[in-house]
Amino acid sequence: MRRFAYHEPKTLEEASRLLVDLGENAHVLAGGTDLFVEIRERLRDVSDVVNIKNIPGMTDITWDPAVGLTFGALVTARQLETLPGVQRTYPNFAEALRLLASIQVRNRATVVGNLCRASPSADTIPPLIADGAIIHIYTPKGMRRMPLAEFFTGPGRTRLERGDIATGIVIPAPAPDSGRIYLKHGRRKAMELATVGVAVSLDRDGDTCTNARIALGAVGPTVLRASAAEALLKGRKITDELIAQVGAQAMAECTPISNVRASAEYRRSMVGVLTRRAVKTAMEATQ
Amino acid sequence: MNKPANNLRNAFSTIGKSVKREDVIEKVTGEGVYVADLKPVGMLYGKIKRSEVAHARIKRIDVSKALAYPGVKAVLTHEDVPRVLHYGSPHPRSVSCTKDQYILDDKVRYWGEGVAAVAAISEEIADEALDLIEVEYEELPAVFTPEEAMKPGAPQIHEVGPGGNLVLDPVRVERGDVDKGFAEADFVLEGEFSGGRPMPGYMEPNVCLADWDGSGKLTFWTSTQSSFMVRGILAEVLGLPRTKVRVLVDHMGGGFGAKQDCFQHEFLCALLARETRKPVRMEFTRCETFLAGRSRHPFKLWLKQGFRKDGTITARDMRIVFDSGAYGSHSPGVTTVGTNSATSLYRCENVRLDGRAVYTNTPIAGAFRGYGVVQTYYALDIQMDEAAERLGMDPADLKLKNAVREGDIAPSGHAIVGHGLEACIEHGTRVFDWKGLRQGARCPDPAASHVRKGWGLGCEMHGSSAYPGIKEQGNALIKVNEDGSVTLMTGAAGLGTGAHTALAQIAAEELNMPFESVSVVHGDTDAVPWDIGAFASHTTYLVGSATRMAAAEARAGILRRAAEKLQTTADALDMVDGRIFLRASPDSGLTVAEAMGPTPGIPSANILGRGTYEPTKSYSFAAHFVEVTVDTETGLVTVDRVVPVHDVGKVIHPIAAAGQIEGGIQQGIGHTLTEDYIIDTETGRSLNAGLVDYKMPLSMDMPDIDTVILEAAPDPGGPWGAKGVGEDPIIAIGPAIANAIHDAIGVRFHHYPITPEDILNALNEKERQS
Amino acid sequence: MKQIVELTINGDPQSLAVEGHRSLLDTLREEAGLTGTKKGCDVGDCGACTVIVDGQPVNACLMLAVEAQGRNVETVEGMQQSIDILHPLQDAFMRHGASQCGFCTPGILMMARKLIEENPDPSDDEIRFGLSGNICRCTGYTKIFDAVRSAAAEIRAVRAQEETV
Ligand SMILES: Cc1cc2nc3c(=O)[nH]c(=O)nc-3n(C[C@@H](O)[C@@H](O)[C@H](O)COP(=O)(O)OP(=O)(O)OC[C@H]3O[C@@H](n4cnc5c(N)ncnc54)[C@H](O)[C@@H]3O)c2cc1C
Ligand code: FES
Ligand code: FES
Repeated sequence: MRRFAYHEPKTLEEASRLLVDLGENAHVLAGGTDLFVEIRERLRDVSDVVNIKNIPGMTDITWDPAVGLTFGALVTARQLETLPGVQRTYPNFAEALRLLASIQVRNRATVVGNLCRASPSADTIPPLIADGAIIHIYTPKGMRRMPLAEFFTGPGRTRLERGDIATGIVIPAPAPDSGRIYLKHGRRKAMELATVGVAVSLDRDGDTCTNARIALGAVGPTVLRASAAEALLKGRKITDELIAQVGAQAMAECTPISNVRASAEYRRSMVGVLTRRAVKTAMEATQ
Repeated sequence: MNKPANNLRNAFSTIGKSVKREDVIEKVTGEGVYVADLKPVGMLYGKIKRSEVAHARIKRIDVSKALAYPGVKAVLTHEDVPRVLHYGSPHPRSVSCTKDQYILDDKVRYWGEGVAAVAAISEEIADEALDLIEVEYEELPAVFTPEEAMKPGAPQIHEVGPGGNLVLDPVRVERGDVDKGFAEADFVLEGEFSGGRPMPGYMEPNVCLADWDGSGKLTFWTSTQSSFMVRGILAEVLGLPRTKVRVLVDHMGGGFGAKQDCFQHEFLCALLARETRKPVRMEFTRCETFLAGRSRHPFKLWLKQGFRKDGTITARDMRIVFDSGAYGSHSPGVTTVGTNSATSLYRCENVRLDGRAVYTNTPIAGAFRGYGVVQTYYALDIQMDEAAERLGMDPADLKLKNAVREGDIAPSGHAIVGHGLEACIEHGTRVFDWKGLRQGARCPDPAASHVRKGWGLGCEMHGSSAYPGIKEQGNALIKVNEDGSVTLMTGAAGLGTGAHTALAQIAAEELNMPFESVSVVHGDTDAVPWDIGAFASHTTYLVGSATRMAAAEARAGILRRAAEKLQTTADALDMVDGRIFLRASPDSGLTVAEAMGPTPGIPSANILGRGTYEPTKSYSFAAHFVEVTVDTETGLVTVDRVVPVHDVGKVIHPIAAAGQIEGGIQQGIGHTLTEDYIIDTETGRSLNAGLVDYKMPLSMDMPDIDTVILEAAPDPGGPWGAKGVGEDPIIAIGPAIANAIHDAIGVRFHHYPITPEDILNALNEKERQS
Repeated sequence: MKQIVELTINGDPQSLAVEGHRSLLDTLREEAGLTGTKKGCDVGDCGACTVIVDGQPVNACLMLAVEAQGRNVETVEGMQQSIDILHPLQDAFMRHGASQCGFCTPGILMMARKLIEENPDPSDDEIRFGLSGNICRCTGYTKIFDAVRSAAAEIRAVRAQEETV
């Protein structure tokens, strides 16, 4: 590992100020499961590491039927994964957590860190976008909040500015009759970065879909919303033909690249397969 | 000295039992010492600066900033190190090595090759100093595939060798009359095959530690399978007598063949330590195990065989080209063994083979479990499956019909003794329920018509030694101590296979003493007899035989000594389970301790048994039966179940043997479906030098494995008939999977890894054609 | 600049002087002399460095030593019940041939211990899932699963006996 200076601020103000003062090679440390890998693999120049884990107020998990699930920036993936309430209410999110890295990594990794790293293949982003999650951000000018769908600007890039620290997430409570699915495609059953990830969250009325959100991972510079495919579903009775159309539309909406994990063509066809499977299962799922 | 006869004994006291592996206690408590665990006082950390171009001359290399960096103690470049042309794979008695490398050269031949080395007071400082070394390259045209490298006018990577980027002269084998054979065929199958670049993926990154004493002697700890080879080549290149180089290795974290070379970093570590007069440890990062490790040889193969209607093979014509990467390493051996292997497995009298190894500007291919045979038998076995399809025969029947038999001429050129392959196929067909399963539906769930199942069989044979390519020799010394305990001294490496336990079992069995009384000393070239290295699945076979000879001599010595004490003759005595007694009156006797220890007037005894064994060749056999599931929408293949059936002659330690088989299957599944170390064919860069994108099967990907070990064909050359098992499993599993995929979806693949994309593309192609 | 980190390792209070950038793994191995925990990748991929921190298994390579301030760290060296009594998992690993080269073993033992503590009777799928962050390249995992199952059964049996006494 390269050397860096280590800081342990006790408040958000102090952390924020450090980040501003120390300049662009100072980085927030949460779980470190991205940050340390990037330092070791020399993907990132780091002069200073600002550990935010001793800042109080970011470790709570609360559930409120009106608001939904709220959790702080320091809550780990494993904490959320093992909560029965999360498994029951947000099976898509729970699945994304189960499929993220290993138990050891999930014991350190924070969900907010997964979001802030802004990898197009990050597993928690598609289900959280599909569920309309909101991210809360401390900025030197005060607190901000924004829909997660608007948070990402490119691979590894977000709307966070120097001195900004994400403090937590709110996932709205699901509508009474809804289905939510996250499907991850990789060549192994674990320890895989998604070749493609598809999240589908549907609100239903019998076999009619009243509202749909589809988020596609690893097929664009950020996780994408397939809004035309969503529009196809809205207010429609779900049939096999419609599902096929939705799959084709999602394929048309994604913009994958070829790399060592898969070709663009393959990714695109997996978007079709996974979207079809996800819509079908989400319509059938009872929640 | 004669080898003890394989006298038929129906009861064994130690061999054939899964005794506790003593070395494993240290592994489960964390006490076992691996090289990276050592940290002598004052130790420095070594790091290597690696090239970021694939083929270039170094115009200028400036280390002044690195040398001035606080904490840096030494920097070495090609200007500072001895310039001695040497072998990468230093088998001393091999006919076919290629001397083609320097410790550091003014040329780089692949992306990732070392160009300089740094020693510093901490790993971090050494790492940071690498960035301060300035290298100016004059880039040379590069070739990244054998096709490019073999073109007339292609850039030449080495000045040595036969030219045309060949590592060695082509290996040509001809038996019978191939043209006549094809003329007699009812039909001919012809196909091209190829394979990617699988890596051994041992968990312990390469590591070494060098320390020089005041007398100019180098003590060198290194994670190697062949410590005497490392001693030899270090001594030669550094200009030292063997007595001035001591190589040590205790525990090592896997090697799978690839830790047989003497690596560039090993020389550099020794030189940095000499330069700084401090111990220096050099440990690869995981990334470096890819860049600077050794892969299996990527290959292209063309195979044509003639068949009669009854399934007889009338002729076989094969050409294979191995991609050696930037240096020769084990290419001579791999090319010889791989090419020759195609003379056998399935009988054919008329054979013509041509094998080549070609330099390219890519990372080095070396020795790796399966050594050239993985490649040839992948093609041979798949083409047999195709022949069965063409003939409308069950592939198991066709393979059984053509299976190599006793007396057939083996790839090594001598007649095969014993023939386990038939037994493996027959036995496996039964326990797997091959016929029953293959009558079942390929699409078990009509509601999920995209999910298909298939069943496949793959066969192999593999030599338990490298003869005749290398004339090997196994050595053992057995010392009987005055308390009746026994010390076995062996140079064989303990790379995790349980070899030392097997050797101790063999010693205990031959001595007829309790297993617990034998302890093993290994891994110190100053203390143990010379050893050629742990490779070619030969440790149990070769060193086991030597151990048995040493034990026989020690036993004779003990009986002579007891006779002296009992005032009788040795032939009147017997020893069972460590108790010595008069044959005439079995109730009275003495223990080995009593025989060995001092009594008034008689000092304690000093008994040494020696064994040296020079083997010819024995072959082990295997048939793997697999079940796969193919998702025809995603192209994902899962291996659900494997029944590997192996003939090992005589099993010494059943659990250890099964462990070898299961581990080989894991690697083979990876090679066939997910593992491929990818080099960019534009730049020569490594694209997936890490464990995320180099995808080895993990706990959730592994199928159920029901291992069957047969003792069908004991080999008279091995201890009680024992043969090797280390390499066999990785050879048979590949074609078994490819054949099962064909059975599931009706598509043939001639390459590995078979990726999900390949499956989808092939299914689409099939659909277009129908 | 070094700072003093006070932590408990295998039950013993320790204070170690470490630089802020040093990983817990390097600190255990190079400063505390506990080399049982292995480094197979240094980036979280292999699990060889798995240790238990405050009851949770983590990759010691992805954690700074300074982050272990005030915490309780358990490594393979602390697994034995006493000098001559192995933990049932250690014993089962020996008997079942679950350790070949042994490089993955300390990490897998730590992970398996946690797995059995949380779930005394794990199914095969649960064992596979629990060990999915630990690479073993020697055994094909079969013998590891055997050993974990067998140790779990043994621990259950001992516990059942204790309860009847
Ligand atoms: C072996 C391995 C396997 C993995 N597999 C997967 C996988 O399958 N799927 C997947 O999605 N991910 C995977 N990951 C990555 C995943 O672990 C991380 O994305 C993790 O969730 C990041 O959280 P962290 O707390 O560790 O973040 P850190 O590494 O601490 O930080 C990540 C980035 O976010 C910034 N950051 C963190 N918290 C904040 C904050 N509150 N405010 C502002 N900026 C912040 C940091 O500065 C840094 O740039 C894997 C990682 C490893 C090591
Ligand atoms: S060394 Fe930490 S996971 Fe590999
Ligand atoms: S025993 Fe060698 S890696 Fe597991």
